Amino acid sequence: MKTSDDKYDKVVNLLRKSKPILDSTEDIELKVMRRIKGMDKTSYSFSNILDFLFGWVYIVWVRRSLIAGSIVLVLIFVYQQGIILNRIDVLSRQTIVPDKEIVPNPSDNIDMILMLYKNSGRKFPGKTVTISETQMKELLETVRELQIKYKDLENIIEANPELKKQIEKKLLENEQSKINL
Amino acid sequence: MKKHTLRFVFLLILISVMSCDEPETVVTNYIHQDGSVTRRIEMVNHKKRFKNCRPQVPFDDTWTVHDSLNISQKGDTTWYKTAEKLFRNTEEINLSYRSDTSINKGIYRQAAFRKSFKWFNTELRFSEKIEKKMISGYPVSDFMNREELLYFYSPESLKYEKERGADSLRYRALADSVKKKTDFWNAKCVVSEWIMEFTKLIAGKAGSDLTNDSLKSRENEFVKIIENNSKFDSLWSNGVILKKFVGDSNASRFKSEADSAMEKVFKDYFFDFNDYSVRMVMPGKLIGTNGFIDSSRILLWPVKSDFFLTESYEMWAESKITNTWAWVASGIFILFVLTGLIIKVIKKD
Repeated sequence: MKTSDDKYDKVVNLLRKSKPILDSTEDIELKVMRRIKGMDKTSYSFSNILDFLFGWVYIVWVRRSLIAGSIVLVLIFVYQQGIILNRIDVLSRQTIVPDKEIVPNPSDNIDMILMLYKNSGRKFPGKTVTISETQMKELLETVRELQIKYKDLENIIEANPELKKQIEKKLLENEQSKINL
Repeated sequence: MKKHTLRFVFLLILISVMSCDEPETVVTNYIHQDGSVTRRIEMVNHKKRFKNCRPQVPFDDTWTVHDSLNISQKGDTTWYKTAEKLFRNTEEINLSYRSDTSINKGIYRQAAFRKSFKWFNTELRFSEKIEKKMISGYPVSDFMNREELLYFYSPESLKYEKERGADSLRYRALADSVKKKTDFWNAKCVVSEWIMEFTKLIAGKAGSDLTNDSLKSRENEFVKIIENNSKFDSLWSNGVILKKFVGDSNASRFKSEADSAMEKVFKDYFFDFNDYSVRMVMPGKLIGTNGFIDSSRILLWPVKSDFFLTESYEMWAESKITNTWAWVASGIFILFVLTGLIIKVIKKD
């Protein structure tokens, strides 16, 4: 029993004395140091930020001033909004005046008027339509040009019996197709 | 329009009204945040073109003018003239008022713009003010109640609608009451102004019975004489009214002063003026005004001679612009303070 104990002690001593063989001790040392430094750095900067941002809570006069500032801001907000809402409420109860006082605002855009005319089933939405003097002149000029061109076309057709016959035939066909429809 | 008993003056006005066919005019002020104003004058004429017409507000060649016409289904033609100009500030508008050649050049008009920073909002105020014409007249509010005053200052279109609407009887009665009170107020103002002018002219010449105070105390007598005599002009020129009011001896002694005073009063009272309307479009959210609101949510004021006869007539509107940056900054600040307090409480625990 004693001999076995002695042997055990000898083996343990032997193991204790024999150190592990490390390939790169410097690397390991470096890694360990980096980890330690990293942990230190994280805890240090977070508390620093907190202290920097909210350190004022431990300084009584600063804390009180900031609280007072916040309360003043809230009060100003409530007061201003209250007054504005009250005034808007008064405005909303005001009488609406009918349109008669308003002078119609003529539009320059004849295209828009024509588009409106097309989209409204060839009917103007109101009883009247307002167009400018220039637009009226343009319209009259266009009608005049159209009349001249129509007259020219009539003369050309009259002068050419073949063309007249062809057109009359075409017109007749068109009429028949309309009847079939 | 004015007191019907003052016929000779009324006739003069009638002649002047008939001689010129002034267009219906609406002036719209589009107010911008920086205080600049786009001013648009819209004139409508049903009878003839705008030649020989003097507008109610000043405008010249520097304005962009646009002419147009409208032919109704019945074939009636209406002519429109639109003039527009951007004024950099209200001072430029006031400058145009100072060099005014319009029909209404006899009145003193001025515009003002104010911008006040109020942290969460910036408040804007635009106003156009017409100074009073009479010095010694009475405010119309002394003669009418609140409802009558509202009706008195209302645009014609609103009056027209009310008098023909569901509650027409009530509004017609109100219109009659306002007309009677307006006539009485006009007469009182004329008499008061005449007393002031007359006593100024006879100062130091007459005895104690013709002081401003003594004549003022008998003001209602004079008003009654005017109201009860349809032949005011002939009675005045014959000196009958003056004799009744100041006595025979004083009437003959101060006849020329009384006439001069009356002439001055009529000149101040029946000045050249053509009614028009003012509209305003404010930037931001509208928070206050003393005007009316039309169906297109634009503010509207009628401008009539009676409105600024004895009191200055101010048309004003206020609006607000939200300062978003101030809201964000305030929110962050309050959140910061709250977080600090919560952290303090947590660390204490």
